[in-house]
Amino acid sequence: MTLLKQPMAIQGIGCIGGFGCGNESFVAALKDGYSQTTPIESTHPTGQRYLPALLANTDRLTDFVPRRSLRRIDHFSRMALLGGYLALEDAGLAVEDCGRIGVIVASGYGAATTTFNFLESIIDDGDSCASPTNFSNSVHNVAAAYLSMQLQALGPNLTISQFDMSISAALYNAACWLEQGRVDTVLVGGVDEHSSLLNYCYQRYFTDSVVAERIAPFNFEQQSAVVAEGAAFLVLSRQPQQAKYGVIDSLVAGDFNQSAVKIDSDLLLIGADGHRSYGEIYAQLSTPQPVYNCTPCYGSLPVGQGFDLAVAALMLRNQECYGIARQPSRESVEVNTFNSVSSLKCTANDQFSLIRLSRQECDHA
Amino acid sequence: MSHVCVSGIGCLCAAGDTLDEAVSSMMAGQRHAGDPPLFEASHPHTFPVFAVRSFLPETAGDVFLRTSQLALNAAQQAITQAQWSGDELRKLRVGVCIGTTVGSTMDVESFYDEYRQSRDPEMLAIDCFLDSNPAAVINRHFGLNGPCQTIVNACSSGTDAIGMAAMWIESGLCDVVIAGGADELCRTTYNGFASLQINSPVLSRPFSVDRCGLNLGEGAAVLILESEQVREKRQHIAAQGYVLGYGSGTDGWHLTAPHPEGRGLKQALAEAFAMSGIDRQQLAFVNTHGTGTKDNDRVESLVLADELPTIPFHSTKGYTGHTLGAAGAIEAAFTLAFLQQQQIPASAGFSEQDPEFSVTPVLENRAISGEVALSESLAFGGNNAVLILGKGEL
Amino acid sequence: MTLKEQIKQILIEDLNLEDITAEEIADDEPLFGEGLGLDSLDAVELAVLVQKNFGVEIKDMEEGRPALQSVQALAQFIEEKQGK
Repeated sequence: MTLLKQPMAIQGIGCIGGFGCGNESFVAALKDGYSQTTPIESTHPTGQRYLPALLANTDRLTDFVPRRSLRRIDHFSRMALLGGYLALEDAGLAVEDCGRIGVIVASGYGAATTTFNFLESIIDDGDSCASPTNFSNSVHNVAAAYLSMQLQALGPNLTISQFDMSISAALYNAACWLEQGRVDTVLVGGVDEHSSLLNYCYQRYFTDSVVAERIAPFNFEQQSAVVAEGAAFLVLSRQPQQAKYGVIDSLVAGDFNQSAVKIDSDLLLIGADGHRSYGEIYAQLSTPQPVYNCTPCYGSLPVGQGFDLAVAALMLRNQECYGIARQPSRESVEVNTFNSVSSLKCTANDQFSLIRLSRQECDHA
Repeated sequence: MSHVCVSGIGCLCAAGDTLDEAVSSMMAGQRHAGDPPLFEASHPHTFPVFAVRSFLPETAGDVFLRTSQLALNAAQQAITQAQWSGDELRKLRVGVCIGTTVGSTMDVESFYDEYRQSRDPEMLAIDCFLDSNPAAVINRHFGLNGPCQTIVNACSSGTDAIGMAAMWIESGLCDVVIAGGADELCRTTYNGFASLQINSPVLSRPFSVDRCGLNLGEGAAVLILESEQVREKRQHIAAQGYVLGYGSGTDGWHLTAPHPEGRGLKQALAEAFAMSGIDRQQLAFVNTHGTGTKDNDRVESLVLADELPTIPFHSTKGYTGHTLGAAGAIEAAFTLAFLQQQQIPASAGFSEQDPEFSVTPVLENRAISGEVALSESLAFGGNNAVLILGKGEL
Repeated sequence: MTLKEQIKQILIEDLNLEDITAEEIADDEPLFGEGLGLDSLDAVELAVLVQKNFGVEIKDMEEGRPALQSVQALAQFIEEKQGK
């Protein structure tokens, strides 16, 4: 594993998705092992009439931002804003303290719905009547921009687009910023949005699969992905005494044909989210530690690893194992104390991302 | 920050298909603009664009967006100049960090149109989008195994990609990084900028009183960055330049308008100077963002007047158009070339001083003296990024 | 619906001004800065909406600034351009 020179302390977590929003709702879903899907009616005649999806509701955002300020802000950016605010609240950081925080937002598809709305305005109204508001809101860095505006976070700000590797990509940058002292705190996370077009594409790609109501993460030969949306954010800092949830102390991403995937932690969370083409890779993993999976709680989306990091952090703090355990497990399912959890995500072109969280020895309960 | 060596540079844009071609063309004052060559649009006027002239799309067999093809071409140029073989590179930890805007957006207009009409379009457009992430394309092509990411920070993506790459080397995450930016001309973006009323119907006039918007452009540039340890073993290969500092700051002001006093840009400058240890008086010149829009040029002039009043500056966007995610990388490549040649081209498109401004860009080709220069980028969303670059050893 | 009423409806619906009704927008109330508090992005959006709904072009903000001062000013601008 590649140890970071400077471990990143996890000070706060903020999540929103099919399970609701906030840590309480997330943990409730994790204990259940899944979240209830919503049937979405297709807007296209091809394929199923209804496709189950895990959708996020951003009503709680008005606890943090006046409704008037949200006037032009679309669902994609609202999810990111809510995830960010929840993480900061969890970290005990007031908005006034955010002037010098760094912000990194990862997204696979970006503001998909607004991008398509912009295309629609071109098609319907002509090239000269395309909506500038839609265009501005469709740029990939829009969520990070709104975070910086609302929080008045004037420090470094990045948006990363790397599909399933987006979260680990974002963390590389956070690690550099913190290690080199550019900032003391980073708000980093991922957001991806559900849209009817993406649903349609999903159906086209997987026409011969039975539509699953729930991800069966360890049925590696089955296509059981459930389309989802949401945002998962962490507040990371340089100060170990702020490690409410432990630290990220190892981070490696690469090609698993060239680097052996060495998992050195007490537990392993795998990001298998029902996509059969990657299932093979996970199926071949041979690891001694207990393996868990939480994807049925938040669904299939490029920034899924962000949710797994939140799960790992919650597991470490609460000393509870969440999600579904791989059966038959090689260890007894009862685990006493554990001090580290790794999150592994494998994806297209033999890429993998392995992130380890470890308990801080003297963290305060 | 330790000096990060640039051992190779690749560049293609409207001014030229290589860095040398582009520099000669700019010094000759040529502006290769025209109607969009690969798409049509129906506005009352056509907006001139700056296309990469001789780079033709690959045949249908390749499922890559033009943006990624441009990126790969620039990467190949740079790796060749840096004299790396694929085998040698694969023994090291090599990162890839590329900035883009179009390269990561689902601008799938005809696909979407057919879908809306309840038809079943070919999935090619989506396959292409999924397979064309610019950093991943380069990573796969060279068979690399390090951190690999695409930065989508709008118009500062290229600058941020090079800056972050330098930080990866500084933190010991990589031995070498292939860093840069790429963007293609695209109908959706063309219409988007037109809707914002910042696409200019005439050739752009950066910093001029009669400026009325930007011209879009396309291209790519890639720099090969190397750590000191790697550099020690490759002293026989001339350094094309150095990355000495990187700063960034966010306006937190508005989605499309810059902060009226340029507070994010000032922060980026301060950070870059602090990080590099360079004194501002050492700067030979500044390559500005200089798009030719009312707002951008006003804010940049203000900041230049406050922070760098005696340093010569220009915009090269009069020769390349605004290449969005590629701009910061192309301009970093230009800055290094100008430092080598100790001359900068005139700021194209200028006709008359704006009475609000107390600074004027360089109006004729000018010899410069000095080993350090600065390139800055301002982006939608309020990102501002600055690179301080050092002269190479040619 | 009168032209002014139409304009107010467009402001509310297309610029997402959820917390205000047409009756609350005075004809001569400033749209930008004070008053309704719209900004530069709203200005270009309005230019597109005016083109779409009334077939009248606001080709740049030199032309736009006086025309978009208030509902009253915009109505007048539209009527002039439509040759009424």
